[in-house]
Amino acid sequence: MKSLLAFRRLFMVQVRGFALALLLSLVALAAGVALLGTSGWFITAAALTSAGLAFNLFVPSALVRGFSFIRILARYGERLSGHDATLRLLADLRGWLFGRLFPRLPLTDRSLRHGDLVSRLTADVDALDTAFLVAIGPVIAALIIGAALTGLLGWLLPGAAPIYAVCFAFAVLAVPAGLVLGSRGAGHDVISRAAEARAAVLDGIEGHADLTIFGVLGTAQAEFARTTQRLAQAKARLATLAAIAGFAVQALAALALAGSLWRGLDALGVGAVDGPVLAGLLLAIAGSFEATSVIVRSVGKLTTAIAAAERLTAIAESPVVIADPATPSALPADFTVDVEDITFSYPDGPPVLSNLNLSITPGEHIAITGPSGSGKSSLLTLLLRLAEPQMGRISLGGTPLPALRQADVHTAMALLSQDSPLFNDTIRANLLIARPDADDAALWAALTSAGIEPFVRALPRGLDTLIGEGSRTVSAGQARRLCLARVLLSPAKILLLDEPTTGLDRPAEVAFFETLHQAAEGRTVIVVTHAAIPEGPMDRVLTMRNGRLD
Amino acid sequence: MTHQDRQNGKTLSGLGRHGGPWFWVAIAAPLLGGALLVWQAWTLAGVLGDAIEGGTPIETLGPGIVLIAGLLLARAALGAIGERAGTAAAEAIKLNVRATLFSHLLARSPRAAEQPQSGAVSAAVIDQVDALDGFFARYLPAMIQATVLPVAFGAIILPLDWLAGLLFLVTAPLIPVFMALAGWGAQIATNKQARALSLLSGRFADRLRGMLTLKLFGRAEAETAGIVAASDELRRRTLRVLRIAFLSSAVLEFFAALGVAGVALYVGLTFIDYLQLRSTPLTLELGLFLLLMAPEVYNPLRLLAAHYHDRAAARAAIGEIEAQLGSLPSSTLPLEERSTILGRASGALGLTLAALTLRTPDVARVVLDDVDLTVAAGEHVAILGPSGIGKSTLLEAIARLRLHEGAIALDRRPLADWPEAELRARVTMLGQRPRIFAGSMAHNIALARPGASAADVRRAAERAHVASFADALPEGLDTLLGEGGLGLSGGQAQRIALARIYLRDAGLVLLDEPTAHLDAELEQVVLDDLKQYARGRTLVVATHSPAVASRMDKAWRMAGERLLPMPVPARKDRSVA
Repeated sequence: MKSLLAFRRLFMVQVRGFALALLLSLVALAAGVALLGTSGWFITAAALTSAGLAFNLFVPSALVRGFSFIRILARYGERLSGHDATLRLLADLRGWLFGRLFPRLPLTDRSLRHGDLVSRLTADVDALDTAFLVAIGPVIAALIIGAALTGLLGWLLPGAAPIYAVCFAFAVLAVPAGLVLGSRGAGHDVISRAAEARAAVLDGIEGHADLTIFGVLGTAQAEFARTTQRLAQAKARLATLAAIAGFAVQALAALALAGSLWRGLDALGVGAVDGPVLAGLLLAIAGSFEATSVIVRSVGKLTTAIAAAERLTAIAESPVVIADPATPSALPADFTVDVEDITFSYPDGPPVLSNLNLSITPGEHIAITGPSGSGKSSLLTLLLRLAEPQMGRISLGGTPLPALRQADVHTAMALLSQDSPLFNDTIRANLLIARPDADDAALWAALTSAGIEPFVRALPRGLDTLIGEGSRTVSAGQARRLCLARVLLSPAKILLLDEPTTGLDRPAEVAFFETLHQAAEGRTVIVVTHAAIPEGPMDRVLTMRNGRLD
Repeated sequence: MTHQDRQNGKTLSGLGRHGGPWFWVAIAAPLLGGALLVWQAWTLAGVLGDAIEGGTPIETLGPGIVLIAGLLLARAALGAIGERAGTAAAEAIKLNVRATLFSHLLARSPRAAEQPQSGAVSAAVIDQVDALDGFFARYLPAMIQATVLPVAFGAIILPLDWLAGLLFLVTAPLIPVFMALAGWGAQIATNKQARALSLLSGRFADRLRGMLTLKLFGRAEAETAGIVAASDELRRRTLRVLRIAFLSSAVLEFFAALGVAGVALYVGLTFIDYLQLRSTPLTLELGLFLLLMAPEVYNPLRLLAAHYHDRAAARAAIGEIEAQLGSLPSSTLPLEERSTILGRASGALGLTLAALTLRTPDVARVVLDDVDLTVAAGEHVAILGPSGIGKSTLLEAIARLRLHEGAIALDRRPLADWPEAELRARVTMLGQRPRIFAGSMAHNIALARPGASAADVRRAAERAHVASFADALPEGLDTLLGEGGLGLSGGQAQRIALARIYLRDAGLVLLDEPTAHLDAELEQVVLDDLKQYARGRTLVVATHSPAVASRMDKAWRMAGERLLPMPVPARKDRSVA
């Protein structure tokens, strides 16, 4: 709940929209209760009137019709304004999350490439934006309706007021609160067991070859069945609790109605209330519990929203590991890279780089080879200052990286990482990310250098071709070259290329190194690869072994 | 509604049969509740009528009040039972769907060219299947209530008061018609909107995934502003659609209100003799009963409208599942446990490759072209070559995990003729990136031989030098690994996979870079143990390490799509780099 309150500020921005939705939902509920009450009073009064002479027909029939239409209009308005406010909140939430995440990248504990985290963040944001509409709004509306009807009962049928008030309060507050508390454990189980089931699916897919080799597909199947069974059990437990809570609310409504009926008949007997009023009040009581029925159902959404809020705040408020200096130095004009005696390891991991030294003069093209896992990519990460070495110093033109603004370091260097993504957008938009002001000639030049120009030319929509989600419309090799074109397009003076030739065959690989030589003339190039480097195009070829270069 | 949508709907309905008896309870409970509701309304109207019109003293009304309370409680209980049964049915159905999907995933050959992305698959099997929930637990029972109850209520009321009964019987079935009319245009618009929303949500996920790249290109502010602007644009468009879409529910409310108000007016006017359409006079009891029933006639329809989106969500989920994994199979495949025949036949296997051609999985590149090779039974050979040249592809083809052209034979028997069970029992392989499964270290090792004793696992762990790092951990071999467990270095993972091999009694052992992440000293020790295990077995090792190759009987070099025989590298002393 506390973390949900952390989003107070974002909710407050849309407070007018939500207040309007709340007001309209109150009007709709009240009109519904009044409609039933008036009708009950009206027909009872009419029945007791022997003839039409003394009965004012006009007012009650107008009220009945009026309440009907107020209710319809209010419902319509409520839904529209509620959705408007929610969608506004959604836009704000996304902006907020992006704004919070950017300075915290790369996340220390998890990679955003991990599909799980991305889908969780998306779902969390969605869970949070409807929190008001489905959970908070109905509780407030029900409380107000209950209080109003209690007041009315206190005036017209004082004997029934306490019974109704207690029952209603229990139904709106105690039962949902009890459900939240009681289902905490089961809700937690659902989440962790869903994660287990997800892991079992991943194991099945990623470990398919191993499972096949060992002939244990049956074991994997049985294990998956067990995991999903456990998930279903946790869900069933949650459902049982929700069903009990639903029963409790209904039972409280029954108690309120039967109790009020009892007290009301008592009062009728002694003449403290007249028949039509009693009939109207009883129907109003029955109608008012309509407000409570949604609450139990939405409690589940509230717990989801709370959990979502907890996860989002955990990420959004995680410390910024690498902060900019208070008084940053200007980006030097000299782009000499000096790596002095650095040692680096990931948290709780073995050292990846140890006492590594490297100096690269501006315009130099170097290649670093070595077995996978030898720390080549980690070196690039350190150059970009996405992580800090435990020992040693990296400097750019003599200025240590920590003295520079990160954004400046990133303007100086462009990275083609092993998992560089293409975005679900046009080819043009994907390229412009690297240099928003680039003209078409520059785009085509970059595509040519990356060896993908003929492919793009042949596309009917050329640069405006949409690349589907997860770059489904282009092959892995083409996607790789488009990413390369993006890096070549960037104005950065230092290009960091991590395995740029994956997905290319050998002749294309050799051709790539030749092209790179010309395309990146005058810029520093650091290529990390385990491809065989052809003679010539590279100024220096170094080998990484056991965290050192030689 | 598109054809695809209808198709998805059919698939969904077909799944209902897995719900079992709970499914029927979920449908029957609310119907029974509806019957009790009529009784309850009748009793309440009777009590009120007697007390107000007849002046009956409260003492004689006691049983009536108790009956009302009892009926209310019984209906509450039925509601809870129905809801719980709905969830039970939905869970049973989901369990079945997941088991079916998973078994078909495992049953497809690892050779299949287009392996689905693991992230997308897990999302389909876990998240999308979860979205089927509402359809079975809520939508279907609501639909049946909406079909049965309003008409049943109308039929009960008709003999009591023909006008009110007629009003209910005519308006209730008309409501869906009007909703459909109002919703006609809105449906199309809503579909478009849903697509826009999923595009935006896709964009959000897309940008999140590539966030680091955006940061490195200095696009943080621009992208943040962009996502807000796109969300806001979507809001404007959504609201335009919702304005129409909500009309259909307003129509429903309108008719419900019209029904209630109409009955109230009709009853009231009859009482004061403005209307005289009945042959017998209307009692207060009957009037109240009609009024109490009026909202209940429309309630099932409102319930249905509230759960309508569950149907759309479930259909969309089915569509998404089928898009990822192909059409939903009808039943779970039983998967054979192949290691049950372990150790029946043993002895080293000879290997022959004849005119073998291999390609990369995307067929873009030839890895080996028309290659011949013979490895005698019990021989230990190394395949050398720089990484990326295709050594792994060759080993996988020999293990029948990949398609090939030309001939591969084990003991002069073509690979294709080996029954799967026998092949798996006789051939084992250590891949380059062995999967570490969620579970304990011991569990990960025992995978190779289900039912292996703790002592066997321990022995294998010691032999593969797993014990040396496992024992340093507080929980030793019981330490949890995999997603959410302890992260292993590449070398540690490889040694666990090696321990798996040691639990097998194979005639042909294929090892892909078995010592890739080990330092030179450990490499030699591991090789000593490996050689000892491989005595009397055929061993094919793909490696780029001369230190590994030097321990083999023969060596081939992979270069230019050929396999060239080469002298076995000389064995240096143990300080080899």
